[in-house]
Amino acid sequence: MRIWLALLLALTAFSAAAKDLIVVTTRPNMLHVIDAEARKVLHSHVIPGPGLPANIAVPQDGRVAYVLTNRTESVSGIELDTGKEVFRADMSEGDVRVKSMLAMTVSLDGQYLYVHQIPTRMKKNEYEVLDTRIAVYRTADGVGARPVRTFAAPRRIALLAPGATSDRLIAMGWDIHVFDATRGAIDKTFPLRHWQRAGFGEPDILDFFPQFEQTRILSSPYYVPRTDVAPTSPEAMQMGMLTFDLDAETMTTKEIGNAELVFFSSVINPVDRNEAFMVMNNLFRVDLAAGAVTGRVPTRTHYSMNISSDGKEVYLAGGADVISVHDAATLRKTAEIQMPGGSDQGGTSIRIVRR
Amino acid sequence: MKRLLPLNEKARSLAAPAASQPSGEAALMSNVVGCTTTFDPGWELDAFGGMANLCQPIEADLYGCTDTCWWPAQLADLVNTSPEWSDGKNSAIRDWRELQILFPED
Repeated sequence: MRIWLALLLALTAFSAAAKDLIVVTTRPNMLHVIDAEARKVLHSHVIPGPGLPANIAVPQDGRVAYVLTNRTESVSGIELDTGKEVFRADMSEGDVRVKSMLAMTVSLDGQYLYVHQIPTRMKKNEYEVLDTRIAVYRTADGVGARPVRTFAAPRRIALLAPGATSDRLIAMGWDIHVFDATRGAIDKTFPLRHWQRAGFGEPDILDFFPQFEQTRILSSPYYVPRTDVAPTSPEAMQMGMLTFDLDAETMTTKEIGNAELVFFSSVINPVDRNEAFMVMNNLFRVDLAAGAVTGRVPTRTHYSMNISSDGKEVYLAGGADVISVHDAATLRKTAEIQMPGGSDQGGTSIRIVRR
Repeated sequence: MKRLLPLNEKARSLAAPAASQPSGEAALMSNVVGCTTTFDPGWELDAFGGMANLCQPIEADLYGCTDTCWWPAQLADLVNTSPEWSDGKNSAIRDWRELQILFPED
């Protein structure tokens, strides 16, 4: 009994000591680790090689951040505490240039890295378009890693997310596909651009921001024309919210009002999963069940966002050189975190690591 | 043509009979080779034909676009042809005056 009590106390103490760390990138090729509560940059690591870092993926243990960099031609794995590069995959080889338009992720257990690759053979007078594919890397292969296997994948994939197990992989593009990554085949497809909804046209989505780790729910704003009202009607273009449960592999969509403003990305509140936030030039709070906006404030431009583990703070990132902290209840801005050197974040992901 | 001799590898490949090469299949590229071949309405109008959804401030959007090959007609191609265009100028809000116009010979 005493042992169990001691274990319980130890676990409680560990849990209390755990805190949210924000992980973002800035130009020219930097990775930053920030204590969210203290608003303090703990580490700024230089990512080796040419820059323009973008997408970040972190496995559940929160030890290594995998960053798409080198103008989307390489993935670098950086140990968050030390800054040491422990993994690197340079995807281009010979006359085949391989880029990824930001679709990269790592399995929850950290064993496998997945990259949606766009290969092009650079001939003298011709660019030969090769088939797009997903490459699988073993993270244990370290610096100089090469794919352990590749499999065919549709074009226009902008976001990858890890499923519940390392053989499940979710890819979002014109539709959402669930891959069996072991077989290298699409297992399920959830239509977006190809959906057939009475009274609605094709939805339009711009979302390459992986910000689902707090709930394991991938969310995204979308825009869709209504075909059952006059084109001049304010209702002719609707904005909505898409959610995809990465573990259950289920999708929901819900219109939340007339399209008046542009939103780039969104996040779900881990404490109240009916509550979502969306951002670009404004921060909106959304009641998903009611399909209604419950709060809005103007902000400076941010592309990406994430939320604290207690659901009380929203962090807005990307674009220029600050992370804006907003109170989730009032939406009031409570703090700014300045990026070291005043460098822009551009299209960075913002990931939360709790440890 | 008989009096013209190819002198380098590129010229030799051009001189090879076209019929002996398999005809290529035109395919849509998922990633453009030059950013400037993409056209997207730029910073003048937003998605709704107005100005309310332009970035605030507009410079906050500059590197978010160039670094991912977006709105390239108005910007340098940092991904392919002009990777050094913004070297050392990592804050668009402070450094935009130092970003130079690119000409074809650049």
